[in-house]
Amino acid sequence: MAVYKRTYKTYDGPLTPAWSRFGVVARYSFSTLFKSRIFTIFTMLCFVPVFFAIAWMYVIHSPLVQQMLGVRMGSALQINNQWFSQLLWAQAWMGFMLATAATPGMVSRDFANHALQLYLCRPLSRLEYLVGKISVIAVLLSAVTWIPGLLLFALQAQLESHGWAWDHLYLIGSIVLSGWLWIAVISLLMLALSVWVKWRIAATGLILGVFFLMPGFAEAFNAILRTKWGRVFNLPYVLNLIWEQIYRVDPRFGHINYINRLPMWSAWATVLTVCLISAWLLNQKLKAREVERG
Amino acid sequence: MDVVPVVELQNLEVKLGGRTILDGLNGSLSGHCIGLLGPNGSGKSTLINTLLGFYPPSSGTAHIFGEDIKGKIKQLRALIGYMPESDAFIADMTGVRFVRYMAELSGLPAREAMERAHEAFFYVGLGEARYRKVGTYSLGMKQLVKLAQALAHGPKLILLDEPTNGLDPEARQRMLQLVRDIRDTGKVHVVISSHLLHDIEECCDEVLILNKGRIAALCNLEEERKANLKFLELEVNNENGFVHAIHQLGCECASFGNGRLKIVLPENIQLRRIYELAAEHTVQIRRMNYRRDSLEDIFLKAMEGRQEMVKGSANGRI
Repeated sequence: MAVYKRTYKTYDGPLTPAWSRFGVVARYSFSTLFKSRIFTIFTMLCFVPVFFAIAWMYVIHSPLVQQMLGVRMGSALQINNQWFSQLLWAQAWMGFMLATAATPGMVSRDFANHALQLYLCRPLSRLEYLVGKISVIAVLLSAVTWIPGLLLFALQAQLESHGWAWDHLYLIGSIVLSGWLWIAVISLLMLALSVWVKWRIAATGLILGVFFLMPGFAEAFNAILRTKWGRVFNLPYVLNLIWEQIYRVDPRFGHINYINRLPMWSAWATVLTVCLISAWLLNQKLKAREVERG
Repeated sequence: MDVVPVVELQNLEVKLGGRTILDGLNGSLSGHCIGLLGPNGSGKSTLINTLLGFYPPSSGTAHIFGEDIKGKIKQLRALIGYMPESDAFIADMTGVRFVRYMAELSGLPAREAMERAHEAFFYVGLGEARYRKVGTYSLGMKQLVKLAQALAHGPKLILLDEPTNGLDPEARQRMLQLVRDIRDTGKVHVVISSHLLHDIEECCDEVLILNKGRIAALCNLEEERKANLKFLELEVNNENGFVHAIHQLGCECASFGNGRLKIVLPENIQLRRIYELAAEHTVQIRRMNYRRDSLEDIFLKAMEGRQEMVKGSANGRI
């Protein structure tokens, strides 16, 4: 229908494949996110530690630079599993802040004026909508966690002798697994809380509360009841336990108190429970129409 | 050749929150513009939401273009454009970007979606405001942008839930004119839900009247108009043989005393014959009201709880 004709005409042209529709949700979400200069600048800042890590690697492998800087790198500063674990843990938290800035706004705009029904009245399922949103968080977190992790591993393998890469080959799996574990937990939890609360500011507060206030409550719980099990409510602690296991960090040298650690099975069970509760919440709340009981 | 009904309801029952909202709906709707009429809370919006797959039927089913909504809702949604009753928009998007986004979600490639988003905006008369953020639009403009997003992907069935809600008379007329224009293209079927009789009467050729979740009447307005049953209200000075003569002419006639008569004039009898009969029987006609059975009459009868099919209905069962 041409503009000047102003008549209604049905559309008989080509259609995009049905499986690719989630990509439309993701594309528009990305485009909206990066319209914000603050968000774009923050995303760039998330790469700063990676550049420092590259510089660090270079200095360690260059006696000339060390001589110029007047420093001597000892064996304690070697690049190993612990180094990767700590660097990517820091990156994971950068990613967390990035996702916290992105997720509530990305979801609340669809809920604020009941726009969700307009998504779901189209050939787009709730799952596809969710996959579209999760893929935005996944791409953002991947870009600052496991992808730079793998690049750093490749760089280190290149700079170090052949034996290092072979000895630390398991780190490839650790980097990828830890990255995707973080993505799964963060994206599901943040989306569930955002969908539940529907209000951007409240959702952001709730997310920060779960990660920064809940550990305080967990420790208070432990102190009052003289137990260690309150830590199952301390999600950063639980994730750190798993993180260290994935990177094969010796528990005695990890930065989690060796004594009174929760058993690993409880850490995995907590993470699994958080994911299941988030999925349940999304299933309950991500609907075109909510039914009032009565 | 059998025409596939646009919407077919088969003992459709929907329960929400433990309450029965739609109760055993049966009927077949084939019009180009179908009205869903009923008082607030009668189940109109629930029926639309069920057709869109938002609410699962607790029993029975519905078919759209012959396809069961239970199994093929995703394919059916590609053929449907939906304009919800409540606000539904993304406030911080420009109008044209919002409609383009919705068209892309319906499966249009980005380029075509952009083109049709612009066209839809001009079509609904918002061309000049298409680069403004939707959140800044007036209520009437928001209604129009909802219509634009329902049209942009070129659906074959458009579901409009209370499209004239909150509009001033001028905007309401413009909205109804748009609906009539869409209907008159003949390429698309429109279902309008409204509690305003006038809106339905102006646009629709078939109407489903709901009351308390049940079908109160299913009426083919077009056939009703074609049948053109003429209702006459007469006041005469005396009825000397006049009533009998009218009966003999083949008209239904009821006398209410004091010379007040009601006559149903069949299609093949001209009004002139009534005047001739009056002259033959030296009866003075002092007053005559001439009107057809209107949607208002049909609606009022239906609301009174008459569980009979209104004359002229073609397909439905109650």
